[in-house]
Amino acid sequence: MSVEYRHATKRFAGQDRPAVHDLSLEVEAGEICVLVGPSGCGKTTAMRMVNRMVEITEGDILIGGTSVRDREPAHLRRGIGYVIQQIGLFPHRTVADNIATVPALVGWDRDRVERRVGELLELIGLAPETRDRYPSQLSGGQQQRVGVARALAADPPLMLMDEPFGAIDPINRERLQNEFLRLQANIRKTVLFVTHDIDEAIKMGDRIAIMKQGGVLAQYATPAELLMTPADDFVEDFVGADRALKRLALLRVADVDLWEAPLAYVGQATEEVRAKLEGAEVPHALLVDPERRPLGWLSDRDLARETVPAIPDSSPDPRVELDDVLRDALSDLLQAESLYAPVVDAQGRLAGVLSVEVISDFLTSPAAEVEEHPAAERPLGHHE
Amino acid sequence: MNSSAIAPLLAQVELRDRSDTNCVQDNGTFCLDWAVDNYERYVDPTLEHIVLVIVSVVLGFLIAMGLAVLSHRRRWLIPTFTGLTGVIYTIPSISLFLLLLPFTGRGNDTAVIALTLYTLQIIYRNIVTGLNNVPPEARDAGRGMGMTDNQLLRRVEFPLATPEIVAGLRIATVSTVAIATLAVFAGGSGLGAEMYRSLDFKTGLLITTGLTVIMAIAFDLCLSLFQRFLAPWQAPAPRERRARLAALTRRPADA
Repeated sequence: MSVEYRHATKRFAGQDRPAVHDLSLEVEAGEICVLVGPSGCGKTTAMRMVNRMVEITEGDILIGGTSVRDREPAHLRRGIGYVIQQIGLFPHRTVADNIATVPALVGWDRDRVERRVGELLELIGLAPETRDRYPSQLSGGQQQRVGVARALAADPPLMLMDEPFGAIDPINRERLQNEFLRLQANIRKTVLFVTHDIDEAIKMGDRIAIMKQGGVLAQYATPAELLMTPADDFVEDFVGADRALKRLALLRVADVDLWEAPLAYVGQATEEVRAKLEGAEVPHALLVDPERRPLGWLSDRDLARETVPAIPDSSPDPRVELDDVLRDALSDLLQAESLYAPVVDAQGRLAGVLSVEVISDFLTSPAAEVEEHPAAERPLGHHE
Repeated sequence: MNSSAIAPLLAQVELRDRSDTNCVQDNGTFCLDWAVDNYERYVDPTLEHIVLVIVSVVLGFLIAMGLAVLSHRRRWLIPTFTGLTGVIYTIPSISLFLLLLPFTGRGNDTAVIALTLYTLQIIYRNIVTGLNNVPPEARDAGRGMGMTDNQLLRRVEFPLATPEIVAGLRIATVSTVAIATLAVFAGGSGLGAEMYRSLDFKTGLLITTGLTVIMAIAFDLCLSLFQRFLAPWQAPAPRERRARLAALTRRPADA
C-alpha cells in the first residue's frame, strides 16, 4: 500500500514556523522509506501525520489513494502498524495480551488471536513460554521485538516506526536491524521509518527523505544516490565526511571490477608461471587446485624452484566472497596488511582478485558507476 | 448521661463474683473477665460499623470515580474538584455531622453522607494521580493502535492507575473507620455509639478503641492483598526474579 504526501504542512498553534513544511513525497508499496534529519526537523511529526496522531494543517496524505482525512482516526490507526522508541508496551498486560491489542480492538475470535500470537512469537524468535510474561520481565531487546510483533499483529500493510531501535545498545540494535530487514524481505510492508542516525537510514532505507530545520525536505533519494550526489551542503554535511566510505557499505564485492591473477597449478613448471607474471594485473601468482579453489600465493622462493610446490609460502587468506559487503572486504584486506585478496564464489572457486587499488579508485571517483543497493530497484536521477 | 449509661452494666455485674464486680465498680484499667463475659454486646456494633465504613467508602469511590472520569479529558475541572473536596475535608467532623442534622435528620443516613463526603478528597486525588502517572508512551501506543478515548481509559489508563487508586482506598478506609466513631453525634450506630456509652468505663472504652484499631488494620490488610491481586505485573515472582538474575550474569548481552 503506497503512501503519498501531497504538500502536507503542519503548523502547531502558537508557533510561527511550521513543523512540517509543504512535504511532498511518495513511498511505493513494499518499500522502506526512512525519514531522517537532526532533532527538530519535523521527521516524527511528518510520520505521525500519516495515522493522524498529528492532524494535517494543509495539504493531504493519501494511503493507497485514499485521503487519511476521510478516515475516522481510531479506525484508520487500527490498520497501520505503530512502533515507537519508548516501545510503549502495556506494563499490566502479558506479552500475549500486548501482541493481541489490535486484534482485540477489531474483534477477532479467541482461537484466531491465540494462533496469531503463536505465529508472531515464532517470527520474532521468542520462546513460547514468554507469552505469559509481563514486559518488565523481558530484556530491552525482547521488549522491542514484542513491540514490533504487536504492530504486525493484525497484518497491516503499512507500518510506522519511530526510532524503533533508538533505545537499544549498539550490538543489539545491529541485530534487531538485521532481523527486521530479514523479516521485511518476506512480509514486504510499506514502512515509514524515522531515525536521526544516517547510518541506520542508509542501512534500512530503500529511499531516504532527509529533512532539515523547519520541516523542509532536503532530498528524497535512494541511499546510493544520496551518498554520491547530495542535493546541497546540508545533505552533504548530514551524510558526513565519510560518505565515500559509507558507499562501500552499499556495494558487494561482485559489484566492482575484479582483477585477474596469473594462475599456477601444483607440479607446473615455474618457468611457465614466471612468463605469465610479465605484465599481469596482479604481480603475484596464485596457486589453485584443479577445481580452481585458491591454495595460496607463490613467493619468489617458490618460483625459484623447478616446479610449483604443493604447499606455497603464503596462504590465500584473506579470502573474500562475492557476496561480501565491500566495506568488510576492505577491512579484511587492511587487517591482513594485504594488497590483494582472492575472491571466491559460493562453491569456493576463484572468481577473481580484489585489489585495494580497485577500492581506492572507486573511492576517489565520486561519479563512479555504482550498482544499486539491492533493495532499491528503481534509481532516480542521474543514473537514467 | 454517664451514670445512666453505666447503670445497666452494673445491674448485670451485680450477679457476678466479687473480684469482677470490684474491677468494674473501681473502673479498673481493663477488666478481662467482664470483657470475656460481655463480648456479645460488641458484635452488633462492630458489624454496624463495618457496614457504615464499607457503604461510605464504596459510595465515595463511585462518586470520586465519576468526578475523575469527568475531569480526565477536561483538565480544568481538576483544580475545581480538588478544591471542592478539599474544603469538605477541612470541616471538623463533629461540626459536619451536626450541621447535616437539620437537613437529613438523625440516623445512619446522615452518618453515611458525612463519611462519604470525607472520603472524596483522598480517593479523588489518588485516582487523578494514578491517571497522571500512566506512562505517556503506553498512552501514545494505545492511541496509535486505534483505541478510542473510552477504550484507552478502560483498557490502559484505569488498570495502570489501579495501585494508586487502591492506595487511596486504603487511606480513605482507615480514616473512615476512625471518623465513623463520631457518627454517634448524627445518631448513627456502630462502635461510636458503644464508645459513647462507655465514656466513663475504661474497659468499655478500651474494647471499643481496640476493635476500631483492629478493624482499621484488617481493612488495610485486605485492601493491600486486593492491590496485589489487581496489579500482578508489579512484582515478579521471587523464583522468576532469581532466574532472571542468573540469566543476566550468564549472558550479559542476551537480548
